[in-house]
Amino acid sequence: MTPIYLDNASTTQPDPRVLAAMAPYSSEHFGNPAATHAHGRTAARAVERARGILADALAAQPEEIVFCSGGTEANNFAILGTAWAAPAGKRHLVVSAIEHASVLAPCAWLETQGWQVTRLPVDSEGFVDPGDVRRALRPETVLVSVGQANNEIGTLQPIAAIAAICAEQGVPLHSDACQSFTRMPPPPADLIVVNAHKIHGPKGIGALRIRTGLHLEPLLRGGGQESGLRAGTLNTPGIAGLGSAVTLGSTEESIAIAKLRDDLAAMVLDAIPGARLNGPRGNRLCTNLNVCLPGCSGRALVAALDRLGVRASRGSACASGSTRPSHVLTALGLSPQDADSSLRLTLSKWTTTEEIANATAALQEAVRTLRSHP
Amino acid sequence: MTRQREPDEHLDLRGVRCPANSARALVRLECMDAGQLLEILVDDGEPIAHVPEALDEEGHRVVVQERAEAAWRLLVEVGG
Repeated sequence: MTPIYLDNASTTQPDPRVLAAMAPYSSEHFGNPAATHAHGRTAARAVERARGILADALAAQPEEIVFCSGGTEANNFAILGTAWAAPAGKRHLVVSAIEHASVLAPCAWLETQGWQVTRLPVDSEGFVDPGDVRRALRPETVLVSVGQANNEIGTLQPIAAIAAICAEQGVPLHSDACQSFTRMPPPPADLIVVNAHKIHGPKGIGALRIRTGLHLEPLLRGGGQESGLRAGTLNTPGIAGLGSAVTLGSTEESIAIAKLRDDLAAMVLDAIPGARLNGPRGNRLCTNLNVCLPGCSGRALVAALDRLGVRASRGSACASGSTRPSHVLTALGLSPQDADSSLRLTLSKWTTTEEIANATAALQEAVRTLRSHP
Repeated sequence: MTRQREPDEHLDLRGVRCPANSARALVRLECMDAGQLLEILVDDGEPIAHVPEALDEEGHRVVVQERAEAAWRLLVEVGG
């Protein structure tokens, strides 16, 4: 059986059109985009073309886009860069409890440096209450961080309401949009993080949108690239690939993926006794399904499915080596045992009806086997 | 005296460093038709030394280069 890939929240298969757009910049157009000669100009044009595409997609200006190595760097840059640029006496951050590790870890590190961090709780479907954001703000708050779509359970946060509160209070909003980028309109945030490999682009490239007027200290120093905000030779092939990938998503595609995801959810919940949906029933990222399958360990399920040709995950790939239960699922109120019995299945534009039927059958078999031989 | 043609498009590159400024101008020019005019504002210093030269080398023609307060105004005709 051809493997069925249902781990698209972890990474997606690159689109051949993206690879074609990248190829010249790893071969004949290899110039350094910072060079002023013809080779450099050719590379710089590719960079600026992609920057314009990205700016349009994020409802931003080209000069607000800073390319970097991916979502993790961009999230670190948004948080640490804001913190390091903050005036003395302003040392408070607000962050949702279910953010990606690349958001939570820099916040936790700042705490070790004397910062105060308010972690916003979520309800049983993973939603942040905008009222909690308002109540958490203090005169010394320098940033609010709430991702647009959660990477484990797909919850789409009420970002517009949160953004309105932040704007009213004059506090910048940072939103990790790696999972949702091109699948829905961008979040109305001051700092937006995106990357390419979640949208059928290459790994190792992402961007941070920094709204004009905000001041961030750079993470990387040593060159004047990206207006001095991110030193290092630009990854021209990756940037060209990111620009190309951004042009490929569409609303119609997202609707079609959501329909397949709904079908998969219905089949899994119907076929497997005791299966429960984790996360929201509505306002959910089109690609995401997360289910609790009591009586099975998530780790064993992933391995059993792998042997049956289905690639899935327990949650964030960035935490796949962890033995601790998912901080996202426990924040919803799941017991550590139920969190450990959960499985994430994430679709792409290439997932087919036949694949979801076969994946459901494989999951049924895996669960039956694991429950009979715990 | 010949009346100066009105530009078809405008691009403000003040504050944009080299060589991103010329690259951004070239990207805009490649979206325009041959013979059209692009008005560009660039900073004094390295940008005004670099941008006209880069555009010229890529086959475009700088028809006007003049001071515009602290910056420079270029009028560039799209090459064929």
